[in-house]
Amino acid sequence: MRSRHVHRVAWAVLLTVIASLLVACSSGPGGDDELSAGPVTLRFTWWGADDRHKRTQQVIDLFQKKHPNITVRGEFKDWNSYWDSLATTVAANDAPDVIQMDELYLASYAQRGALLDLNTEKKYLNTGDFDAKALATGAVDGQQYGLPVGLGSYALVANTDLLAKYNIPLPDDNTWSWDDLKKIGEQVSKAGGGSVWGVQSPGFSDTGGLQIWARQAGGSLFDDKGKVTIPPDALTRYFSYILDLARDGAAPPPSITIEKADGTLNQTAVATNTAAFGLCWNTQLTALSAASGQKLKLLKLPGEAKAHAEYYKPSMFWSVSARSKHPAEAALLLDFLANDADAAKVMLTDRGVPANLKIRAAIDGSLTDTDKAAADYLNRITVSDPPRVTPNGASTIETILKRHVEDVLFDRAKPDQAAKAFITELQADVDAAR
Amino acid sequence: MSTLGELRALRRRGARSTKRDNKAAFWFLLPWFAGLLFITLGPIAASFGLGFTKYNLIQPPRFIGLGNFARILTDERLHNALGVTFTYVLVSVPLQLACALGVAMLLDRGMRGLAFYRSAFYLPSLLGTSVAIAVLWRQIFGTEGLVNQLLGLVGITGQGWISDPSSALSTLIVLNVWTFGAPMVIFLAGLRQIPTVYYEAAAIDGAGRWTRFRRITLPLLSPIIFFNLVLQVIHAFQSFTQAFVVSGGTGGPADSTMVYTLYLYQQGFGRFDMGYASALAWFLLLIIAGITGINFWAAKHWVFYDD
Repeated sequence: MRSRHVHRVAWAVLLTVIASLLVACSSGPGGDDELSAGPVTLRFTWWGADDRHKRTQQVIDLFQKKHPNITVRGEFKDWNSYWDSLATTVAANDAPDVIQMDELYLASYAQRGALLDLNTEKKYLNTGDFDAKALATGAVDGQQYGLPVGLGSYALVANTDLLAKYNIPLPDDNTWSWDDLKKIGEQVSKAGGGSVWGVQSPGFSDTGGLQIWARQAGGSLFDDKGKVTIPPDALTRYFSYILDLARDGAAPPPSITIEKADGTLNQTAVATNTAAFGLCWNTQLTALSAASGQKLKLLKLPGEAKAHAEYYKPSMFWSVSARSKHPAEAALLLDFLANDADAAKVMLTDRGVPANLKIRAAIDGSLTDTDKAAADYLNRITVSDPPRVTPNGASTIETILKRHVEDVLFDRAKPDQAAKAFITELQADVDAAR
Repeated sequence: MSTLGELRALRRRGARSTKRDNKAAFWFLLPWFAGLLFITLGPIAASFGLGFTKYNLIQPPRFIGLGNFARILTDERLHNALGVTFTYVLVSVPLQLACALGVAMLLDRGMRGLAFYRSAFYLPSLLGTSVAIAVLWRQIFGTEGLVNQLLGLVGITGQGWISDPSSALSTLIVLNVWTFGAPMVIFLAGLRQIPTVYYEAAAIDGAGRWTRFRRITLPLLSPIIFFNLVLQVIHAFQSFTQAFVVSGGTGGPADSTMVYTLYLYQQGFGRFDMGYASALAWFLLLIIAGITGINFWAAKHWVFYDD
């Protein structure tokens, strides 16, 4: 009798525990998104360099002053660990409410249902002052999953202090080619005597360079349907170019390049003044200058004189987790980040030249020299239509690219073999995500 | 009569208190059972199920039968990861055990400050699997790190040990060998169990140090060596943190530090393919079970039990 009673109690307890856990799992956000009068805590995550962390914290303080019942907890990381931790928190149903999102991952997260359609929060989020074309870059399948923060363009940064020190004249960026870059890089390396190199090796930092390379060759990385369409011979030449830079001494030896590429932006060769030239996004000029302490200048990309491959890339997006318990407050924070002039005056161009036209005008007077140079760069270049958004499944492109560049640099694969393998692998990842 | 009644009463009381004890024990054990159920058995069962599905971490899993397991056979990067892992295990475990045994024998002799040395050698084992040490390792073996500075003192120009595919795995192996403290402590305990009379008798018979080691220490210690071997092999197959941190999560350069578990992690959280990652986890279980089985089979030929 007694023992049976104990069993029954035990089962009851166990079932209650299971049931309560299940209930806890399924309780999502409330249906009607109204601002809460009580205290609300939002988690806000971003990647970036130290400079950005300070500025963002200042903006958060401003927001909290205006909305005393909302606490914003910032979580910031460098680029590499950012995506690892975002993937794990999203999988664990513990995603931050407001997420700084990149073009590489927008489709991946949106099409898996992890992001909120921002159009559902129009009540709190005004997008009226945005350039319609810029706004469209954050839409996937007709739904607004990302609010573009700023615009950026790929650029070549040159350390003019270093060039002056070695008496090497600044090249004419209206006419120069990739071969010119390699030649001047070799000059710098020679003058640098083993401690300073000409060019920070491309192919590691991000896929912007690869995209430009494909477009200069008349192709693109992906077509409208998401198929990998970079011409194999263009990719082969890309790998050969990187190999030549290292072999002929324009770029540092591969192991140094790899070591620097694994670090943060502040540890790159350009930031530590160990390379005179490097590819970057124009918006990174301020952070790079702050780290380097020397005079850096943005130049037009080599090869642009012949084929205009440049495009405006949304530097990043603001997204809201689809499982956020406070979508209304999250939208309010986005609205503040996107439309508040005071916030913009703190951020300036750290996250790109603002996509919001009104804000762009508002900060014009408060730009520092490097911010101005970054903004001016956009006016100097000739841009054509933006490429297709990185398809779902292709977020792995950078790790695949990095591995094949390493294979080529360490003579484990010939450039044409690496090109073929890269295309096959990337296509397989896109297909697998369908 | 009365004694019998007392006895019965006692027994009743005993039965009651046993039942009460059981009940209390049950309540105290409940958190443990819940943990076992939800944190251990649940995920294990879930990962087994997920191994047969395509699951991108957010949308519901889709059943695809044995597709993931078929992929294991043709996945070239996985085969490379297996090669890296086997190299890692085959090189680092014997080296680690040799270091552990060597240091244990040194420490076994009563020397001054023994407790200090024991802790000092054990310390890396406590720290070795931590992220902080892996980060430190990255610095030490970097282009401008300690190793190259020391080499510079004797006129050798070092290289980027971690960023060169030909030496990156070796730094991980050195890191693993360095954490020999746990097997060392077990060896120390084992050495203490060997009766000194054997050594005395052997010494009288004129056996040298090497002979004593080969004929007495090794055979009598073989069960302990076997125990450490099995444990460290399993441990080495599962190592993840060091490779993850030292390579910055990439397994690079050129997949040279891509150990099995890191590849598994990248499939799950980098490519959002948790189904394949789960299948890989179960495949790793099979591999470890197989290797452990071989170890036990081989043990019959070299492990000596002094019953």
